Amino acid sequence: MSMSIATSTPQISDDPPAQVLAIAGSAGIGKTGWIFQQIEQISAPVVYFCPSAGNVPIDPTCLAAEFPNVQIFADGQELELIEQVEQGAIALIELGFHLDLRSGNMLLETLAANSVLKKIALVPSGLTNSEWHEWADQVIEVKYDLDFYDLQIWRSPFTGQVFDPSSLNVLWYEITQGAYGEVSRAKGIFDLFDGRAFYLDFVTGKEDSLYLPLDLPLWLDGRPERFSGIEVVGRNLDGKAIAQCLIDCCLSEEILLHYQNQIKQSRQQSRQVAA
Amino acid sequence: MKIAVMSCIHGNYEALDAVLRDIDQQKAEKIFCLGDLVGYGPFPSNVVEMVRSLDIPTTQGCWDEDIVEGLNSCECSYPSMLAEKRGRIAHEWTNEHIYPETKEYLAALPKVIKEDNLAFVHGSPQSQHEYLLPELDGFIALERVLSTGADTLFCGHTHVPYVRTLDAGNLRLLVRTGVEVPEAEMREFNAPLKRIVNVGSVGEPRHGRPNATYVIYDNDSDRVTLREVEYDYQKTCAAIIERGLPPIFAWRLAKGLEFAERADDASHLCERGV
Repeated sequence: MSMSIATSTPQISDDPPAQVLAIAGSAGIGKTGWIFQQIEQISAPVVYFCPSAGNVPIDPTCLAAEFPNVQIFADGQELELIEQVEQGAIALIELGFHLDLRSGNMLLETLAANSVLKKIALVPSGLTNSEWHEWADQVIEVKYDLDFYDLQIWRSPFTGQVFDPSSLNVLWYEITQGAYGEVSRAKGIFDLFDGRAFYLDFVTGKEDSLYLPLDLPLWLDGRPERFSGIEVVGRNLDGKAIAQCLIDCCLSEEILLHYQNQIKQSRQQSRQVAA
Repeated sequence: MKIAVMSCIHGNYEALDAVLRDIDQQKAEKIFCLGDLVGYGPFPSNVVEMVRSLDIPTTQGCWDEDIVEGLNSCECSYPSMLAEKRGRIAHEWTNEHIYPETKEYLAALPKVIKEDNLAFVHGSPQSQHEYLLPELDGFIALERVLSTGADTLFCGHTHVPYVRTLDAGNLRLLVRTGVEVPEAEMREFNAPLKRIVNVGSVGEPRHGRPNATYVIYDNDSDRVTLREVEYDYQKTCAAIIERGLPPIFAWRLAKGLEFAERADDASHLCERGV
């Protein structure tokens, strides 16, 4: 999978070399894409932490699929993260737009006690004064046209649910085109009946949504026991309607097993023919 | 003489009213309706009452049939699980809100109307549920028109208007007259120029705008004119929500999108006959 970002390939300065990189910025500005780019350039072991991802760890799941060697930490594993950094790993810490920037201070200060910390903010070009400017060591301007004030976030896990692709297509169009409120940003991971998991990504102003198959094993034995979920950012969001619509797009146990059996038989026949 | 042909009103009374006014302005002398008076929209009985009161010759649509016979959607109908669920909600709502005499009227509608060299159907002469998409195989399209004995076949159902001319076709058939006769006989005949006219949809357009569409046909000049009529669709949207239909129907109507059903496979033929 290659992750595209909304930025004009922002780069950080090299001096001094940072062992802990904390990144912040508004919704859909390209924080995760920026992190993907950094990981590709780092030869040392990398650890990643996205505070408050909670039970909807979309970015950590994508990152784990793309970079299986990166160690990913969840809330409550901060001590292990610190330990890894002390042992020489490079830490990438992504602060979601909805978090108070001060909320990560204790962890960052602890890490900074023994490592070089660099706080980077991706900010809309032309913005000269913001909490990100005050917080960051380095500000990277990015072309970004969204109104990022007073955004509301709605998210939901649906691990174990498997989607009918045609229905998902309709639902995604409706969500991103404003049927359930004004949407600035939407992203999600969805399991499909053929065993694949897809990452869907939308930012207002971009031409098309991104549909990317995740590099994960096919899940063809019952309901997937791996994370899937959705996050929608915008205004006047009708979460109840989105949730109902999501339910309406999911396959029943009976239909799912029917499809999975068909696919398994087909794969077995292909293997026999090949042999 | 000018005739107006409309279809797929789907309980959208505001759209029907606007189309009837436009037909009046176009000075059409006769109106035909190709069915789907009900389904998805908030005023099914009012639409039926209006069509009935004007004594408009009307064929039975797939929704009209389903309301009478009970939901019996075949695989032609829904492109996704979500669409099917929404279709079922619309069906149940319509079933609860429709008057018994309205059902009786819908039940009595013919499936095909013939007038001179014109034929009128909802989906195709084969089935109210079959979509005659513009990309349908030419031979099958020609067969559908020939089966009516007409030169021009008016249909609806796809909600996207089009005119398709089937140029004079040369058909060659291999005919076996009996098992005792091993030789097959080659027969050849020329089909005269035929035409399929899809009149679009009054109440549930799928062309990306909420405007109603219908067709004016002038049988003196043999000219077909597709009409697109603006109307106060926001009134219908408000009624959809007020009357307890899913709000997503209102949003989709305003965007000129289908509510739930959509045909996109031109090679698919309905397996159930009329």
